[in-house]
Amino acid sequence: MAKTYDYLFKLLLIGDSGVGKTSILFRFSEDAFNISFISTIGIDFKIRTIDLDGKKVKLQIWDTAGQERFRTITTAYYRGSMGIMLVYDVTNEKSFENIKNWIRNIEENASADVEKMILGNKCDLEAKRQVSKERGEQLAVEYQIKFIETSAKDSLNVESAFYTLARDIKAKMEKKQEASNPAGARSGGGHQLRANEQQRKPTSWLSRCSLL
Amino acid sequence: MSEVEHKEPPVANELKDYIEDGKNKMIVKCKFCGSKILDKNSATFITLQEQLPLMLQDSKQEGEVQSETITDFYHVENMFTFENIGFTHTVANYKYLSCADCDAGPVGYYNMDTKHSYVAISRIVQGDN
Repeated sequence: MAKTYDYLFKLLLIGDSGVGKTSILFRFSEDAFNISFISTIGIDFKIRTIDLDGKKVKLQIWDTAGQERFRTITTAYYRGSMGIMLVYDVTNEKSFENIKNWIRNIEENASADVEKMILGNKCDLEAKRQVSKERGEQLAVEYQIKFIETSAKDSLNVESAFYTLARDIKAKMEKKQEASNPAGARSGGGHQLRANEQQRKPTSWLSRCSLL
Repeated sequence: MSEVEHKEPPVANELKDYIEDGKNKMIVKCKFCGSKILDKNSATFITLQEQLPLMLQDSKQEGEVQSETITDFYHVENMFTFENIGFTHTVANYKYLSCADCDAGPVGYYNMDTKHSYVAISRIVQGDN
């Protein structure tokens, strides 16, 4: 069957245990009487379809929860990944300090041109905050990585973060294609398949806040 | 029946409005939140006999997974055909499928050997948009 999308991006969620990686991917809340079968087993990855400038983009988003206790993420997870969300918890200083270690881990294991973004999660918990927004911004400037504070609990900025990361990957890929073939007829490092000029409706999971 | 009979399974009356040329005629959506799971005309109708765990498990019956037999499915050969979907961790060579927006499920399963997915028609809704 003919492929019906233009791009396919594999994305990873990385960061210390407890920063909310799984909450970013998984939203279910259960009541006291019933246990959801899905929440018992847990989500490995999700496939999301988004529209970026008229292109149909499939995102395959992987959780790495449970892996982080090994201090590194296994090479298998990094293989083929084009974007990485580095997640820390604004109420946990240590998880912020460890972002540098995660970046080193990525540099050692992931593809050199993988696109990165830093997320300061749990920004709804203002009273418990240990890491200021300014420190997050400074770190992002230092590594030249985009940064945004999120609240998975309130669904704040999560979707716009994924849009931003996907848009950056797409831009990088198109630039590469342009460089290797100015006519743009041949596909580059990714999975460009065919143009889809049809404008799709904006999805409901767009968020309210803007990027820094 | 003519000799050019194809292998499409017979379609039950209540599904006739939803299936055309063996494919899903309408958009497949989550029963609970309406999240788009499959685009129209992207999956093939198939009948199987499969046990699928219930969406809600009674917490009083600990340790035992309650299931039901499901026969009507949409068959999806390539996982990237899905618009929005979640895949659980692997259990006995299967991954279960869940709604990407509200995490309701299982709405079907994925076979690790064949890499094919099956969406249970009784656990989704179908519509024009």
